[in-house]
Amino acid sequence: MSGSRSARLLVSLALLALLSMAQFARAAEPIRIGLQAPITGPWAYEGEMARNSVQIVADEINKAGGLLGRPVEIVLGDDQGQPQQSALVAQRMISEKVVAVVGTYGSSVNDPAAAIYERNKLVNIAYGSTAESLTTHGRKYFFRTCFRDDRQGEFFANFAADTLKAKRIAIIHDNTTFGKGLAEAARRPILAQGKAEVVFYDAITPGERDFTAILGRMGRTNPDVVYFTGYYSEAGLIIRQMRTLGIKAPFVGGNAAVNDEFIKIAGIDIAKGALMTQEPLPTDLDYPESKAFVAEYVRRHGEAPSSPWPVYAADAFKVICAAIEATKSTNSDVLMNYLHNNLKDYPGITGPISFDAVGDREGAIYLAYEVFGEGDFRPRR
Amino acid sequence: MKTERSRMSRMSVSANSAFLMVLAAFLIVFPFFVSDYWIDVCVFWGINVLLGLSLNIIVGEVGLFNMGHTAFYAVGAYTAAILSQRFGINMWVLMLLSGVAAAIAGNVLTAPIMHLRGDYLLMVTVGLNEIIRITLINNPFGLTGGPNGLIVLDQFRVFGRVIQSPIDFYVLVWGCVALLLFALFRLQRSRIGRAWNYVREDAVAAESTGINTRWAKSLAFMIGAGIAGATGTIYATKMMVISPDSFTFAASVSLFAIVILGGTGSIPGVILASGAMMVLPELMRDFAQYRMLFFGLAMVLMMIFRPQGLWPSTRWSTRVKGGDAE
Repeated sequence: MSGSRSARLLVSLALLALLSMAQFARAAEPIRIGLQAPITGPWAYEGEMARNSVQIVADEINKAGGLLGRPVEIVLGDDQGQPQQSALVAQRMISEKVVAVVGTYGSSVNDPAAAIYERNKLVNIAYGSTAESLTTHGRKYFFRTCFRDDRQGEFFANFAADTLKAKRIAIIHDNTTFGKGLAEAARRPILAQGKAEVVFYDAITPGERDFTAILGRMGRTNPDVVYFTGYYSEAGLIIRQMRTLGIKAPFVGGNAAVNDEFIKIAGIDIAKGALMTQEPLPTDLDYPESKAFVAEYVRRHGEAPSSPWPVYAADAFKVICAAIEATKSTNSDVLMNYLHNNLKDYPGITGPISFDAVGDREGAIYLAYEVFGEGDFRPRR
Repeated sequence: MKTERSRMSRMSVSANSAFLMVLAAFLIVFPFFVSDYWIDVCVFWGINVLLGLSLNIIVGEVGLFNMGHTAFYAVGAYTAAILSQRFGINMWVLMLLSGVAAAIAGNVLTAPIMHLRGDYLLMVTVGLNEIIRITLINNPFGLTGGPNGLIVLDQFRVFGRVIQSPIDFYVLVWGCVALLLFALFRLQRSRIGRAWNYVREDAVAAESTGINTRWAKSLAFMIGAGIAGATGTIYATKMMVISPDSFTFAASVSLFAIVILGGTGSIPGVILASGAMMVLPELMRDFAQYRMLFFGLAMVLMMIFRPQGLWPSTRWSTRVKGGDAE
């Protein structure tokens, strides 16, 4: 029975490996702050940029003498962009006794982790989880430096009605958590304001190549503007097929459509003039903090972060450090109270940061980006 | 020949029980040495074992390729979350109810496709998985919370103790595994278990000896789906938040891989393979982006050098070695 022998060998190997991994206890000298990010998996690129960004901030703080005379250390947890892994990473952060956690990127990935942090009273600041539901559970220890989806939806509603003067709006989403959430968040204020009507609201299936059937149906409703809340590859195909079908209405994408691939798939002639609602890219931020940060990022990695999210991670890390510095404490409750009540207009990389009662960031900073003839996205000023 | 065969089957029994004893010893000792994090890893291992064992009934025992098993798991988790939220029903009762709900779903949804075989059935079950997931996203009747999912506040309670910490869940999950193992070993030796294997080996011959193959197949689907549904309740209380993103096609594929990797029809195989699927990626964490590459490589090598799985089902090899079945 060689099968059972090798299997038993495997079991004992696994046991050994588990035990050796568990010996992680280290001296409590540095102040340890967790970073939960998707280092592998479909969003690996985002996770990597977040890690780079947080590292820059940590290095700066350490160079300036650390926090309360102690160095800061990042404890990295890779959630792979999966809810189950996220729950595990959260548990690991608690086992490793970090002071607070930055992260993570996806909303439905963040939710289970936030529940665990809440129960264990650990301050956690999300940097890319924009779904509304995260701050509707009455969690006290959850914050986010990014803005909620409905703010982007509201931004689009106002932008479409006031700037584009649209009366008939078509909204297409892709049935993903994010895409549908944003579509809902855009539809609600449009209906409430009554300045325009939603003439078409439906979903495409991500991964398909041919959307002419649904776009044909949409074309017959005669929209003034088309808002697509899904990801860039479908966005590229949709704008292309819209123009082939002779639908001339302006195309507006959500922040998931902002990617150079969009232009490649659509072709520059078609993509030109397409609009996107999104958080300002790090390079388009005007604050002195952001200019310095981007310069440092370019110096280290050769290019600026290509998405808006990593700088929110850096900001989350900065806010945690500021709270520790100001309260001279690493106690979760002290930090939580400070963040809720005392932190006002902290000068972050992405602008002034304050949190409201449920942990959402106050204000909203969005821009409409336009695709220019040279094949780049620029803010429409 | 007869003596040879009984000797072989006794050996397989002793190998199985040796494995289970090693496993039990490991599981009892393990929590004393590790942090909550590793206990939690084992909780999810246990959940995957429960799911793998339930899928093993369908794929392993009856040979029905089901690559949409997560659908039933989702039905169970959502049934528990919805009923708990609306009516505050006790979690233990809900575990039963969601098992029943998933079993009914397993029966109703697979009734029209039960005559399909092999790859064809596999394709349809993939579709089933997607249909369930997209239905959940579309928030029918405002029940499922759409893409945001549902929050689960209630927990299991044992004599007033709330099952909440990693070690509580560890005991709960592995207790359930122990119960399930007991039931499954009994089932394997029962008339039903033998009928299932007969259907897997030769459906026509099974039919001609008086086994109602359609009944046997739907029973397997119902039991498998029911166990997955009940496991969904544990998952829902463990995660406290469930969303459609937890029940993707990729999750079904990895469950399927657990059963194939372990050796179809083999109970120790499922336990080993689901452990390997959990622990190996953790150990390969240092490779970061290349991790999935190594993982894929390991799977390919496995299929080339050990296609029968980590721990092949011994009943199968006994029959071949005995030779008198030919």
